[in-house]
Order: sequence, then structure tokens, then C-alpha cells
Amino acid sequence: MQQSDEDKKRSLGGELVIPVAAIVFTLYYFTTIVDSPWTAQVSAFFVGAVLIALSAAFVVKCAVAVRSGTADLGLGGLFSRADLTSGRLVLLVVTLGYILFIEWAGFTITTFVFLFAGMLALNRGRSLGLIAGLSATMALSGYLLFILAFDTRFPRGPFEAFMKAMLGDGG
Amino acid sequence: MEANLDLFGPLFLHTLSFWWVIVPTIFLGLIVGAIPGFSAANTIIILLPLTLVMEVEVGLVFMVALYCSSRMGAGIPAILVNIPGTAGAAATPLDGYPMAKAGRGQQALAMSFVASTLGGLLTTIIALISMPILAEVGYYMHSVEMIVVMLFGISLIASIAARDTLKGLIAGFFGLMIGAIGTDVVYATPRGTFGFLELYDGVPLIPALVGLFAVSEAFIIIEQDSILTERGRESMRSTSWAATLEGIADAFKRWKHIVWTSLIGLVIGIIPGAGASIASFVAYQQSRAYSKTPELYGTGHPEGLIAPESANNGVTSGTLVPLLVIGIPGGATAAIMLIVMQYHGIDFGPSLFQERPEIGYGMFTAMAVTYFFMILTILPLSRYMSRITMVRTVYLAPMIISFTLVGAFVPREYMFDMYMGLAFGVIGYIARKTGYHVAAILIGVILGPLLETYFLRALKKSDGDIMTLFSSNLGNVLWVMLAISLLTPIYLDRRRRKAAEGI
Repeated sequence: MQQSDEDKKRSLGGELVIPVAAIVFTLYYFTTIVDSPWTAQVSAFFVGAVLIALSAAFVVKCAVAVRSGTADLGLGGLFSRADLTSGRLVLLVVTLGYILFIEWAGFTITTFVFLFAGMLALNRGRSLGLIAGLSATMALSGYLLFILAFDTRFPRGPFEAFMKAMLGDGG
Repeated sequence: MEANLDLFGPLFLHTLSFWWVIVPTIFLGLIVGAIPGFSAANTIIILLPLTLVMEVEVGLVFMVALYCSSRMGAGIPAILVNIPGTAGAAATPLDGYPMAKAGRGQQALAMSFVASTLGGLLTTIIALISMPILAEVGYYMHSVEMIVVMLFGISLIASIAARDTLKGLIAGFFGLMIGAIGTDVVYATPRGTFGFLELYDGVPLIPALVGLFAVSEAFIIIEQDSILTERGRESMRSTSWAATLEGIADAFKRWKHIVWTSLIGLVIGIIPGAGASIASFVAYQQSRAYSKTPELYGTGHPEGLIAPESANNGVTSGTLVPLLVIGIPGGATAAIMLIVMQYHGIDFGPSLFQERPEIGYGMFTAMAVTYFFMILTILPLSRYMSRITMVRTVYLAPMIISFTLVGAFVPREYMFDMYMGLAFGVIGYIARKTGYHVAAILIGVILGPLLETYFLRALKKSDGDIMTLFSSNLGNVLWVMLAISLLTPIYLDRRRRKAAEGI
């Protein structure tokens, strides 16, 4: 019975992340304008004051709920076992790697590696051939459409440089 | 300036002869509109050398067709994978995506295409006929009036997150505060930039859009094997052309809704700087406020999809009015059109319609013809486009992340913007997981700098007198309308509750 009551409790820890972040950011923002002319302050003070008031009201509301026993400060809504089992954390790390390396390796190679690694991680190492083919097709299609056809300024690297040398100015 | 009605028929037929430009441009526009970071404005800039060497009429038809079709294209990923192609489609997934999840993506696309086309066509015709009157609107919109229009936008925040108004307001004001990052408009003092030079111009909108919607969504959808619900998967397996026809019929049944929400888009489009993002949210909020079933909004309600799609296409016609009549572009694409037209030696103002009517009125007839061709070419595609919802999330999520993050890089070519996209992705993920609406944060980011600009302008003109906000007749009328728009839903809600209690 006790377990059942605890299950019904709302976990408010996760819900407090945005309001707390909002308060911290607003206070930081205020420190950057405290010596500025009024034109730089007036709108920010107005918006920031309202934001702090709203966030504080939410924090108080949560505190009342925790005190009355209808909620706790758990992070259940935000973090769970699914973050590990679904491959979400691996995908986040691979995404960070994608941004880090795209500047040096260029769009096509980095996109291929990212798609391959990301899909493989999410699919738990299965369908290796399909994933390799799909990743190569998507990366090359992106190259053909955005770089070759539209000449969009995507990050370029060795592959793009090689293709440019092969195709002349078109690449 | 009076509209020359005798011209329209021959001009329409003349514009039809440019089908060879319009049809391929429609498909190009759909692609660039669907990918975040590739707006019509960017594409016209990329193809500017081509546009400049074209004959002026061909160039204008090309730009207008690209403008209209990219607006419609932005709604496609918004409906199918919850990722708006541009900020103007940010209200589209509110009801479009739940429809797609329920396996009604084909109906949702057909409905969106019909609403966009009818809304765009109708407002084009209205703009064409009533241009002299509509042009006056632009003259009367000063700082004070613009502030009230912005506040209209902010008032939407609470209504979008109706399940918890306090959370909705926190998300919206947090967005406003993020939108205030950057140097101030008068003395260029850096504010809240964390020392990053890349933030001195403010928070770039595309990384915010990409992160809040696309990246966060990609990290959420991997919890399930498919973005479709079990029932949705069943109905997707048995889709046929009947689903497209059902979507078309559903849209036509709501023709009145299309008419008034597209008119909201037209009027907001005429106001320089207001844009499609504000129009679509205003239309969504007004649609819900006066609906008999407001509780259905956000669950896949057809009217919640029709309202933003009609409105953002209404904006397309509206932005051309101030451009042609007073030479003030209503948005980025209109600004590029202005440059191209000036390159060809075309002057704006009332004389344009007397000296070069084929250009002045021609831009609107090009728009009408584009919408006419769009409905014929795009509707059949809805059945096949909706199949994307069948792709497994293990494949879909990495594709969404890679292509949208690179899209964040394109407008400014800063690697920093890709990191920004990821940072907004984390904010969006936390917001979604804990019940804060990412659309509310995005509205705040969009409106933050605009609100500050007009606020400062009004205060500077009045030597800091805050009462200037209530000094204009039109502004006061708008204040009253704002109050009515905020209070009416509360009143209607109470009346509904009382009626329910009575039963």
C-alpha cells in the first residue's frame, strides 16, 4: 500500500530544471547590463523580472506539493533507464563527435561516419550491410544535392576537395 | 491608386504561359522549404546570378513561385516528423504531427495543401483587388501599434500550453530572455553573450528552430521503434487514395475557417517585419479561442492544422503589398525581390501600377497561377510523402540530426551555430520531457528582439514616457482587441463549464 502511494507521487525534480535555469540565466544577464545605458536595460529588466517572478511562483508551487506529500524531487521524468537502453547517450556522444569533426573531415565523410555509427548504435549492431548502404547513399545524396547542385557552403574536407579536383570547378 | 480590373484576365492568361518556369520551381521550393536553413530567401540568394540574367518577368515569376512553394514545403516535415522547415511553420506540428502519429499523415498533408493553396489563392485575389486600401495599413503601423501586435504574439504562449499556463508562460518568457541575447540596438553593448562573439548579433533563429524541434525530437523518437502509434501503423498499412480525398474533403468542409485565418495572415503580412511565424500562431490561437471544441486542439484537430497553414500562406501575399506600394519589403524574400527589381530599373510606388502593370499586378497573378499549379502537382504526392512516417526511428533519428544540424550551419557558416543547434536540442529535450512547450520557447526567441526594438523606438520618440503606449487611436483599438482576445476564451470556458455542470 505504501509502495502504491509512492508510485502516485509526481516527480518534480525534472520540471524544476527549466525554471531554475531561467532564473540563473536571467541573473547572469542582469550582471552583464548593470552598468549599461538605460536603452540596453529597460526591456531586459521588464522581461527578466516577469520571468523570475513566474519561475519563483513555480518553485513555490513545487515546494508546497513536496511538503504536502503529493510530489517528490525525483528526476524520473527526465532521466531513466531508457537513456541507456535506447542508445540515447551514445547518440549524443556521436552527435558531439559529428560537430567536432565535420569542420576537418567535411560534410560527406563525417555524415557517412555519423549515420553509420548512430544507426548501428541504435540498432544494437544489427543490419550492418543495410546501415552501411543507407549511410553511404544519404551522405552521397547530400553531397550531390547540396554541394554539387546548389553549391551550398557546407563544411568541406578531403572528399569534397578530391571531387572538385576530379570535376573541375563544378565540385 | 485604383485597381485596374480589366487587366487581370489577360494578365492571368499571360502568366499561365510561364508554366515551364513555375512547375519545376514548385518542386525546388518544396525541397528548400522542407529543409531547415534552406529558406526561399537563401535559395534566391544562391541563384541570384541566374535571377539577374533572366528577363525581369521570368525572374519575378521564378522568385514568386519559389516563395509560395517553399512556404508550403515547410509544412511537410512539420506534419510528418514534427520538424518545421521554417519558423513560419512552427505552429503546424501542434495538430499536424498528432495526426501523422495516428496514421493520418496522408489526410493531414492533403488538408494542409488545400488550406495553403486556398488561403494563398484567396488572399492573393483579395490583395490584388484591394491593394490601394491594404497599402494604407502599412502607413499606420508605428512602434506603439507594433508593440501591441507583438504582445498578441506573447499572449499566445499561455494559450498554446493550456494544460499548464504557468509552465507555458515560463517557457515563453525564457524564450524572450534568450531572444534578448546580443548587443543592444542603440549602443551595441553586449548582453548575456557568455563572451561569444558569435552571439553579438543575437541568437540565430535557424539553430534555435533546428535544436528545439528537430534535434530534441530525434532524441525523443528513439524510445519507440516507429513514430506511429500501434493504431497509426495499422491505418498506414491500409492507406489508399481515399485518404487523400478524405483530407481534401475535410479541408473544403472547413472553408470558412480557411477564409478567416488566411485573412489574419494577409493583414499581418502587410505589416513589415511581423512575418509568418507570428501570423500562424495568432491564427492558431484565434482559431482555438473561437472554436466550439478547443479541448481537441493539440490532439490532431483538423482546424488546428488548417489555421496556421492558411495564415502563413496569407502572409505570402501580404508581404508583397508594402513592397510594391511603398517599397518597404515585408520580409527577407520580399527584400531580395526588391533588390532584383531595382537591378532591372523598376521603381516602386503607385506609378508602378500605371507604368508597368504587368510587373505590379503581375506578381500577384504569378502567385495565383503558382497556387493553381501547386494544387494540381502536389496533392497526388501526399500519399507517397506520408510513407516517411513508416521509416524506423533507428534510421530516421540520425538522418534528422545530421541534415538539420548542417542546416544550422548554412545561413552564417559558423561552426558555432551547429553547437548552438545541439545546445537548443538539449534545452528542447528537457522541455519536452518535463512538460514545457518548445513552440512557446521559440515564439519568445523570435519576438524578443522585435519587442525590444519597437519598445525602445516608442520610448525614445516620447522621451521615455511610458504612457506613449496608449497615445495612438489605432494602438488603443488594438489594446482593446488584445484584451478581448485574452478574456474571451476565459469567458467562453466558464460558460462551457457552467453548461456542463447544468447537464
